[in-house]
Amino acid sequence: MGMTITEKILARASGRARVAAGEDLMAKPDFVLAYDFPGYTDVIFRQMKEEFGIARVPDPERFGLFIDHMVPAATPAEEELHIGTRKWAAENGVRLFERRGIGHQVAAEVGYAVPGAFVVHFDGHISQLGTFGTLAMGIRRNLLEAFVRERIAIRVPATVRLDVTGRLRKGVMERDLFHHIVRVLGPAACKFQVLEFGGPALEALEIDGIQTITGLAMFTGAVTAIANPSPRTLDYALPRALKQLDPVASDADATYAARHTLDLDDLEPVVVIPPSPANTRPLRDYVGTEVQAGYLGSCASGRLSDLRAAARVLKGRQVAPGFALHVIPTSQAIMAAAAAEGLIGTLVEAGAFVSSPSCDYCYGRIATMTAGQRAVSTGTLNVKGRMGSPDSEIFLCNAAAVAAAAIEGRIADPRDYL
Amino acid sequence: MSARNALPPLRGRVAFVFTEVDFDVDQIVGVKNIKIQDVAELARLAMQTYDPDFAQKVRPGDILVGAENFGYGHPHYPPMRAMRHLGIAGVVAESFSPGYWRGEISMGFPQAACPGVLSAVSRWDEIEVDYADNLLRNLTRGTALPIEPLSAGDAAMLAAGGLVPYLKRDLAGSMTP
Repeated sequence: MGMTITEKILARASGRARVAAGEDLMAKPDFVLAYDFPGYTDVIFRQMKEEFGIARVPDPERFGLFIDHMVPAATPAEEELHIGTRKWAAENGVRLFERRGIGHQVAAEVGYAVPGAFVVHFDGHISQLGTFGTLAMGIRRNLLEAFVRERIAIRVPATVRLDVTGRLRKGVMERDLFHHIVRVLGPAACKFQVLEFGGPALEALEIDGIQTITGLAMFTGAVTAIANPSPRTLDYALPRALKQLDPVASDADATYAARHTLDLDDLEPVVVIPPSPANTRPLRDYVGTEVQAGYLGSCASGRLSDLRAAARVLKGRQVAPGFALHVIPTSQAIMAAAAAEGLIGTLVEAGAFVSSPSCDYCYGRIATMTAGQRAVSTGTLNVKGRMGSPDSEIFLCNAAAVAAAAIEGRIADPRDYL
Repeated sequence: MSARNALPPLRGRVAFVFTEVDFDVDQIVGVKNIKIQDVAELARLAMQTYDPDFAQKVRPGDILVGAENFGYGHPHYPPMRAMRHLGIAGVVAESFSPGYWRGEISMGFPQAACPGVLSAVSRWDEIEVDYADNLLRNLTRGTALPIEPLSAGDAAMLAAGGLVPYLKRDLAGSMTP
């Protein structure tokens, strides 16, 4: 019997020839990543020293830190957290990426998305490294384990395989595909399992759109998502890889917990209505809903494809008076590329507020809404209070739909502007 | 597995049944209170929208029951800190969202996935979660239902009382999952 890509990666990481879903292992992560956040990194650094007597991590090249939340700092306490992170990174000889963009995207850019590697973080959106055949899991506070010993306890997850066929139609983006998956498979369809993507249409999707899909995998209940490496993703990942590993892929006779096929031709733009990421609906049913704010950014969306789609909608048009459109490219590299393409100019001329990469718009730390306000958003999540008051509301949709809503001040169909 | 056998059963009343599928645990204290650190204050605010007298009714050892995909969304730690402060000893649900599950197991807070639990218990029934036999017993009704076995790592973490004591014990070589 063959193995899935996940089983192959965990077999290598645990020093075994083969493993199967359900086995309990001790596996060595190739990389241990984190962004600094109160209650996570500060606690881990303190516990490492005080509870376990470990002054420094023994192999600093396996670790990577990011400063992407609370950027720029708005209180002295936030800056103190960052100072503590810089100090720990310097003392430990660990790489720190600050103000380069949202860490999950920067991780791919700087070479942690090594095809075949096993990566852990406390935050589940790290799953997006799966785009490049990397097995990347968010394990919350259990990340401490990876700071105090080489191997971590893990049960090999089963895999749900999803093959895509057909082609996305005009105005439909990878973001819609993800929320469609939640609708048709269900928000717990892949619980404690890996969502593996394949099928003839995968190559027709944008790589940065696949990052969107894999990055949101947790809302299907999955512990991560992954795609088998393709020449296209290897071209991106191998030249920058921080570790030399042989890429692996699922065997044709691998065992899957379930197999599904989705036809992209059937998709239309969707909106995820508050207050749960489980609430996917056809966008057309909500056209006309008044909205006061728009957010185009986050680790899920905010990449070149998203910025191009928004610029196409907004070119030569204007954001509605009083509407707050925030466009936050996911990384500095993406922002520079968007500027070179003229996208930033188009968005600014249309009235968008364009700002440097930061996670802070996604969780209401800035651009905070008050009671009764509504936003369209490409952020990760639409739970109550995510972007401000618990009595504000978030409608998740694709980047083109955010731009279309910004023009009308109401939820609008992006296909009317493309 | 010695760690699994070392895990004592939970025995208590069903303090509340959350019937909502994909339940977002932040609702227990209310999203507007999620940044409160003081556990006594969190406990005072907990369950206000579900049962304002919850704190008076609950007894140490009581257990919460939930539906499918319990803990979905973006779970934070304060709601269950508040519940533990009130004496809640664990949660049994039809199934769990992995992020929630991992987070609470690492706090040493017992959880048990038990398909069928919603129709097998009522509020205030006396129940027992038996991790040795992998059974949920309804002592009031005299019935029993299988629970899903814990992974070796989860069982060891619960037996140790949470992530930090688990790692300390494990690093000292007393247990290897």
